[in-house]
Amino acid sequence: MATYILRRLLWLPILLFFVSLITFALGVYGPGDPIQVLLGLRASPETIERLRREYGFDQPFHIQYLNYVVNALQGNFGYSLVKYRDQPVGVLIAEALPVTIQLNLVAIVMGVGIGVPLGLLAGLKRGTWIDLVIRALVIAGISLPIIFLNPVLTFIFSRRHEIILTALNLKFSIGPLLPMVQGYWEGIFSAKVILPAFIESLGIIAVMTRQMRAGMIEVLSADYIRTARAKGLRERVVIVRHAMRNALIPIATILGLMLGGLVAGSFLVENWFGIPGVGQLAFDALLSRDYYITMALVLLIAVAYVLSNLLVDILYGVLDPRIRKAT
Amino acid sequence: MTTRTRLRSSSRVRLVRRFLANPPAVLGALVIFLMVIAAIFAPWIAPYAYDAQKLDYIEKPPSAAHWFGTDGLGRDMFSRIVWGARSAVFVIVMVTLVSLTIGVPLGALAGYLEGWVDTLIMRLADILFAFPGLLFVFFISATIKPGVTNWARASGLSELANSGYLDYAVVILALGVVGWAGLARLVRAQVLSIKQREYVLAARALGVPTRRIITRHILPNALTPIIVAMSMSLGDIALSEGYLSFLGIGLQPPAPSWGNIIAENAGRYWRQFPQMIWLVFIPGLVLATVVFAFNFFGDGLNEALNPEIEK
Amino acid sequence: MGTLLEVKNLRTEFHTQDGVVHAVNGVSFHVDEGETLGLVGESGCGKSVSMLSVMRLIPMPPGKIVSGQVMFQGRDLLQVDDEEIRSVRGNKIAMVFQDPMTSLNPVLTINTQVSEALELHLGMTKPQARKRTIELLKMVGIPEAERRVDDYPHQFSGGMRQRVMIAMALSCSPQLLIADEPTTALDVTIQAQIIDIVKRLKRELGMAIVWITHDLGVIAGLADRINVMYAGFVIESATTKEIFGNPLHPYTLGLLGSIPRLDAALKAKLTPIEGLPPDLIALPKGCPFYERCRYRTDKCAEENPPLELATLRHWVACWNWQDVRKQRLQ
Repeated sequence: MATYILRRLLWLPILLFFVSLITFALGVYGPGDPIQVLLGLRASPETIERLRREYGFDQPFHIQYLNYVVNALQGNFGYSLVKYRDQPVGVLIAEALPVTIQLNLVAIVMGVGIGVPLGLLAGLKRGTWIDLVIRALVIAGISLPIIFLNPVLTFIFSRRHEIILTALNLKFSIGPLLPMVQGYWEGIFSAKVILPAFIESLGIIAVMTRQMRAGMIEVLSADYIRTARAKGLRERVVIVRHAMRNALIPIATILGLMLGGLVAGSFLVENWFGIPGVGQLAFDALLSRDYYITMALVLLIAVAYVLSNLLVDILYGVLDPRIRKAT
Repeated sequence: MTTRTRLRSSSRVRLVRRFLANPPAVLGALVIFLMVIAAIFAPWIAPYAYDAQKLDYIEKPPSAAHWFGTDGLGRDMFSRIVWGARSAVFVIVMVTLVSLTIGVPLGALAGYLEGWVDTLIMRLADILFAFPGLLFVFFISATIKPGVTNWARASGLSELANSGYLDYAVVILALGVVGWAGLARLVRAQVLSIKQREYVLAARALGVPTRRIITRHILPNALTPIIVAMSMSLGDIALSEGYLSFLGIGLQPPAPSWGNIIAENAGRYWRQFPQMIWLVFIPGLVLATVVFAFNFFGDGLNEALNPEIEK
Repeated sequence: MGTLLEVKNLRTEFHTQDGVVHAVNGVSFHVDEGETLGLVGESGCGKSVSMLSVMRLIPMPPGKIVSGQVMFQGRDLLQVDDEEIRSVRGNKIAMVFQDPMTSLNPVLTINTQVSEALELHLGMTKPQARKRTIELLKMVGIPEAERRVDDYPHQFSGGMRQRVMIAMALSCSPQLLIADEPTTALDVTIQAQIIDIVKRLKRELGMAIVWITHDLGVIAGLADRINVMYAGFVIESATTKEIFGNPLHPYTLGLLGSIPRLDAALKAKLTPIEGLPPDLIALPKGCPFYERCRYRTDKCAEENPPLELATLRHWVACWNWQDVRKQRLQ
């Protein structure tokens, strides 16, 4: 088992090399020039040249790349070129990352906490109206556009509503029920997290519900469930001890893969709620061709992806004894 | 325990019947139909031009003259939304075509020839999968846009460059380039399994050329999963089109697409009641309904073609 | 020897997309204490469904036990409440299933799965149950039982898994064991081992067995009596000796004729039964075997013959059993 993990981890630097090379090449040779973006359309060619030399962009490609790698290995991932002029990329990411991770964690907890029980219910009550409603909710989860949910839900929950009932001569106000984030992150336990995390969780709820439902249906028709019933076990024991254990295995897999996505922030959500996370950072960087930031983010995502895949494999071994002995 | 069942009616009739027994799916099909009608006949259905401004009649609620009210520049919301259907339908159709055109042949080749061809194509698909979806499409669009524009200008197609079609092309290319991977993977798996079947071996033994084997024998049998996969991805494509136009990729204002209508109005009006209803909520609801419709339709099609079998 | 189980007029059907499948159509039989009853017939004849109905293990949508009585220890199992039937399952009546690969839960240890019944029905504590489980595993001939008890099902071979299933079924010393084709999925050599184990345990525990199979060869050495089933009906019932020596139903005759025999002539051909069993959704009005029967008469198409006494302790559901006997004796 240990050798297996080691082998997988060894793949990481090789992957990083290829990914960084491709991304760097895209940044250097690709269309768009951060200097241009920085200085705007009116800049004179001389100014542009001067800045290029200053930043070392006139050097041949392999020198630039080598410099980058050497610096990166020492923890220096370059500086922002455009938006946050001259701030080290490492710092920018270190500030944005925890925000996104926290937001995504809450979203995952919500997603699993709502999705798994819903899927369980739908699987147990297959064919009934409960099942149909839950399946419709799943489709809603993947259909409702974020750009629709953002303003509408914010309107409902984060606004102060003045209600006037002329008939009863009543006038009162409700809310805001959930405060807005507005720029600064107050941590994972602030009520401000609820709305953006919920919107992000909808996709997760959909996946979890679907998988749990399918898993339960498949497991419940298995022979070993019939054996369990033939032993005279209560239905609840059959479902919890025999069925769920098996149905949860693929869920654990999906969860593990989702952990890889923890570092990737949803720009649409972050932008609307003013959350200073990785998604916002990435979007700005892409727009302004700030490719040191882009590089670092791409590398980060690649690492997260590989590590989460590894985690999933290990998890699978823990949960399914059939795999354990094989590795 | 086995139960022997006799085919009670032809399978095609059963298919249609199963689909029709699924109310959301039928509703979805209806909505899609309406959307296509709106897209095709927009110039005749829309009561006003989509960029006709009436600056003394801004932000007005729905009325007999303006069914969906007017926006910040006095433009008729109903007309703009109807025209928005054009952008959506055009993009969805074209992206589907592009994905099919690239994905099916590549997937079929990968599955049939195996070996290095297979590895190459699948690695390519893997790389595409590794990138975070929307961001990647956005990046591609933003990146290739200037390139495509310059190419158009250089080729003397400057009229094209200035028209909306270039904007469309960018979105379609971006979504298509990312979208073919999933389809290719599916087609490859299908081809791999069908390849083993006896009628394929027979065709090969007769010396039928590869191209013909793929088109005449293998692909027709892989049709069902391809159709299902495509229909289930329509909702995602519609959603992506909405997001991308929200972010400014694709059709540029004043030409309306549901995404850019929402983008124009959401930030400004979300708090204002009742304005947000027809300026933000309605356009968003239209997009949501369309995505719902595609998803219910695709789901219904899937259920009709692959019913959940009771043991 | 008293009667342990008496099934009267059991009817079970399944409601499917294509119609109602009449799987069990008015089946009646009994099992005496300590005897082995063989339930024989081809796939789909209702033998498994009958016994699953007895245990009320039929999934209730789409299945439905329409009518009948299952008398066991003075109670009708079809009428008792859930708690009572659960106290019977695994405890007084136990079942062993066909496929040991899929009938054991892959994520639970053997210990957990066998101890479950012990803890539930006999109120044992975990250490007590574990001790008893190891004893049971030894009883069915699993080597190194102390070590293997914490293994998972996938670590056992097919034959070993079936032994575990048997140990699990016998854990609470049931009075009746229902064995649903327990050896069908196994190698012939393993088959023999399993049969030996069951025979031995039956002697030791004095329990009754209902052995379901489509393999006449297997049942010959096992059963005291045999019920032959076809299309959800019991069409012949007699002692093993009678069934093999004096088959009276055309179907039984056909079955016997289609088995290769050691004492047959060298180039003797097997005579299979032509045709296919009837559609259980649209059962014919008369005898279900009519289409394939060489002895049929017009009456057979009109009226379905009931199971009636033909000779000593030998029942047949056929209008023309005397013709069958006459022809065979020639």
